[in-house]
Amino acid sequence: MDGQKNTGAMSEVDLAQVLSQVRAGDADAWGELYRQYAPAIFRFCRRVLPAREDAEDATTEIFMKVRQKLGTYDSSRPFTAWLYKVASNHCWDTLRRRRIRQDLETGDFETLPLEHPDPGQLERLQEEHTSKEVRAGLAKLPDRARMALVLRYYADMSYEEIADTLGVRRPFVGVLLLRARHQLRDALGGTAAGAAAKAGGGR
Amino acid sequence: MSEPDDRLASHFDEVTGLLYLEGQLDDEHAHEVSDHIAACPACGQLLRALQNESIWLKEALAVEEESIPAHLISAPQRNSAHWGWIAALTLCAAGFYTLWTGYIQPSLAGASQAGFSQGGVLQLIFFEGAFWKGWDAMRSMTELLAIATLGGLAIWLLRRQWRRFAAISFVMGALILGLAVVPSAFAADVERGTPSNPTYTLPAGQEVMTDLIVLADRVRIDGDVDGDLIAFSQDIVVNGHIKGDVIAFGQEVRVNGPVDGNVRAWCQTLSLQSTVSRNVSGFVSVAELADKATVGGTMSILGGNTELDGHIAGDLLALSGELDIEGSLGRNADIRADHLRIGPKAEIQGYTKYAGRHQPDVASGAKLGSPIQVTIPRTGPDYTRVRYYWHRVLLWGASFLFGLLLMLLAPGFFADAEHAASRFGPAVGFGALFLFATPVAIVIACITIVGLSIGLTAALLYVIAIYAAQIFVAAWLGEKLLGGAAPGLGAAIGRLALGLAVVRVALMLPYFGGLADFLIIIWGMGALILAVHRRIRPHVAAAATA
Repeated sequence: MDGQKNTGAMSEVDLAQVLSQVRAGDADAWGELYRQYAPAIFRFCRRVLPAREDAEDATTEIFMKVRQKLGTYDSSRPFTAWLYKVASNHCWDTLRRRRIRQDLETGDFETLPLEHPDPGQLERLQEEHTSKEVRAGLAKLPDRARMALVLRYYADMSYEEIADTLGVRRPFVGVLLLRARHQLRDALGGTAAGAAAKAGGGR
Repeated sequence: MSEPDDRLASHFDEVTGLLYLEGQLDDEHAHEVSDHIAACPACGQLLRALQNESIWLKEALAVEEESIPAHLISAPQRNSAHWGWIAALTLCAAGFYTLWTGYIQPSLAGASQAGFSQGGVLQLIFFEGAFWKGWDAMRSMTELLAIATLGGLAIWLLRRQWRRFAAISFVMGALILGLAVVPSAFAADVERGTPSNPTYTLPAGQEVMTDLIVLADRVRIDGDVDGDLIAFSQDIVVNGHIKGDVIAFGQEVRVNGPVDGNVRAWCQTLSLQSTVSRNVSGFVSVAELADKATVGGTMSILGGNTELDGHIAGDLLALSGELDIEGSLGRNADIRADHLRIGPKAEIQGYTKYAGRHQPDVASGAKLGSPIQVTIPRTGPDYTRVRYYWHRVLLWGASFLFGLLLMLLAPGFFADAEHAASRFGPAVGFGALFLFATPVAIVIACITIVGLSIGLTAALLYVIAIYAAQIFVAAWLGEKLLGGAAPGLGAAIGRLALGLAVVRVALMLPYFGGLADFLIIIWGMGALILAVHRRIRPHVAAAATA
């Protein structure tokens, strides 16, 4: 974990003090901790869960869990990493409960071959789409693909943590991320893959 | 892949490129890749494109577009979940108190003065004067409630499934029907009683050429009505000639004049003294068909005590407490009653079927077309018969299919409701509130200008909600019993099936079954309400960005 940048800033000393106060039942300290980290967790939930109301509920529920589980937090690890782990487990659980129909539709994509992209087209795709369009494209992805991209590129999670959260084998995380990227490229209006395949010029 | 094999073998694939960029390759592999890209511009280009894509993704994900909602600004407290049920139970208690002090108590007081029996409390609530005096004040509130409910339903349906034609047509249909019913009602002559003159009288010799709708404390129709007579009143007396139907909601309804159409009555006492050319249907406490009265069609009675001395040309369908037949029937009698008495002058030309707790009392002089068929059903379930258990299995199957349908059509909503069921306190609180408040709102909606269509739509949804309640409780129960939430449709179906089976068994228990049924209904209904609320609640964004 190379440190989560997407959380509120609080020095390590302050954080340790606030956490010990929260553990002792100090309501003000709990309020302070919440104010520092709730916006980041809400934004995380907003990226992972397509519906806004789900993200709102999840934020509240995650902090209720954080308060309950704070005793299990190992202070030798970064607090934000632990917080994102609780949040991602909760969000994944929420998505998993709703995935009944999608499970029927999702094949075993681990075995699907990936077409190589044309780097030039990939660069054009990046130039042509705004952040807003990327976020809209992300919302269209299957839950697991979206979750993997957000965990890696928003929450800065390690491959081990992603594997643990999503319940997949560690070596599969790379394939999962790459597949998610392909799906995002397709969602944004096609990529080099198709064109390259048609031209018979696959790498 | 048209390139020669030796060249293909020298390139690395895209996954390897990504793993290299993200520092996930071991040293040996990483060296191989770095050596290769030093010599291969194509792979170097791919790697740069992938790296740029990573940056592009991070930037896109980091962009802030929304502020944190206002209600999330303050930290949730441990006991915040209790607020829901405290508020719901308080509301529920307030609703009961209002109903009791505002309607039931004055009604009972008035009823005891008027010498009514203690039975039929519901009828007393709706037909005693206190109610009629109070409903005008309540009308605006209930109109608002009913319209808000419909609006909420429309938003909810359109929000998630607005592309589905069925949802749109349902909502639009309800609205158009609602709009259509109101003008058609006002095409009639509408008369109201006033505080100074609470009695409406249509004098003898006068004729109303359209439908006549009357709302007054007392209604007396001595003249003729060319269309239907629709009356809401404590006391309705019809002496004139009604060429359409008589539709009466009242405490006492007395029809002395001829009616060319049907008589439909919902009242305490219905007395028919004349000729009704078509059918009579009544939801009544006491019904009387006088000696000289005749009914041209079928007579359907749902009531307490029924006395039939006149002639019915068609069938008799009766669900009644005491039923006394002294008159004649042109066709068949299908009777469910506590007690049946067929007098010596009675004549039934078709068959007579009777189901009741007591043996019928048939006088020797009575003329029956065929011997009376009597069924004395056992009270309560018969645990010794296989059929009883088979019936339970069928009921389980029906509820399972319904649950499965819900699960497949609206998995998100289903999960929400199941999740809401885990919050027992709020669910039971809201469930109790809606279980008791909704029928009152529906009845008021039906009898005010809010419209029958809205009332009936709400009634239909209410019945569906009562049935659906068991599904959400069962799904929750299944999850508790099987532990955890295994993903996939199969596991969800298994949880639902097991939960429903447990619910069915609980309902079969003597004595406890009824209580369990009630609890499951309010619990599941509350879960449903919470899930609906979750979908339609407004989102208030904080003014300041997070």
